[in-house]
Amino acid sequence: MEQVEKWARYVKEHPNKWKKELKLFVDSQIIIANRFYKKLNETEEGRKKLVKIMELKC
Amino acid sequence: MKREVSDKTILEQFAEDFVKIVEKHCKYIIVSGFVAIIHGRSRGTEDIDMIIEKIPKEKFIELHNALIKAGFECMQTNNPEEIYSGYLMNSTSVRYTRKGEFLPEMEIKLAKDELDEMQINTRIKIPDINPIIYFSSIETNIAFKEEYLRSDKDIEDAKHLRIIYEDEIDEHKINEIKKQIRRLRMKK
Repeated sequence: MEQVEKWARYVKEHPNKWKKELKLFVDSQIIIANRFYKKLNETEEGRKKLVKIMELKC
Repeated sequence: MKREVSDKTILEQFAEDFVKIVEKHCKYIIVSGFVAIIHGRSRGTEDIDMIIEKIPKEKFIELHNALIKAGFECMQTNNPEEIYSGYLMNSTSVRYTRKGEFLPEMEIKLAKDELDEMQINTRIKIPDINPIIYFSSIETNIAFKEEYLRSDKDIEDAKHLRIIYEDEIDEHKINEIKKQIRRLRMKK
């Protein structure tokens, strides 16, 4: 929680800096996960796993 | 808190593109994790949570078709009648992505009670954060996260929002919403 508070203070006090820093983190997570899911989708076995992953979300 | 357009994350651009279609068909709100993330909370997520007003099936079919035309697809099924009657009307969410992509996802639910309706009726835009997207109020997001959702991640999201809005938050409003959450969602 201390780290959460520290970062929130940074965001509040540096309104012109935080977004660029956060974008790298938020975007890379989406890009990497998307790449991984697409790779899984290339094989029959992978597609079965993907279905299970998607079922977990629903 | 003002930002440059080029600073938009993939999530934010996805949300903007999606809501531009939805708002032509019904009222909506974006709630929960994305509200914290767009305010700078440093954590990952794959989906954005949206609540839409309770619209009749015919109107939902129009919305679904517009989303398809705009390049989105529903992960569960492409049949809008099934999405509406089999999922949304049973309080089950459905997920839309850009066609051919797995992420990000927009998780959509229909408003299910007066608490959801209240959130939609008191929805806000936060121009310094994003001028296009409607959010449920900051107080509502904090109340849900602290009173109802309550995972470590949610408590941290609430803490983040409390710090960002520390001089503006209406504590009385948060407590009133928490009372409604206990009455309607937790049957206390």
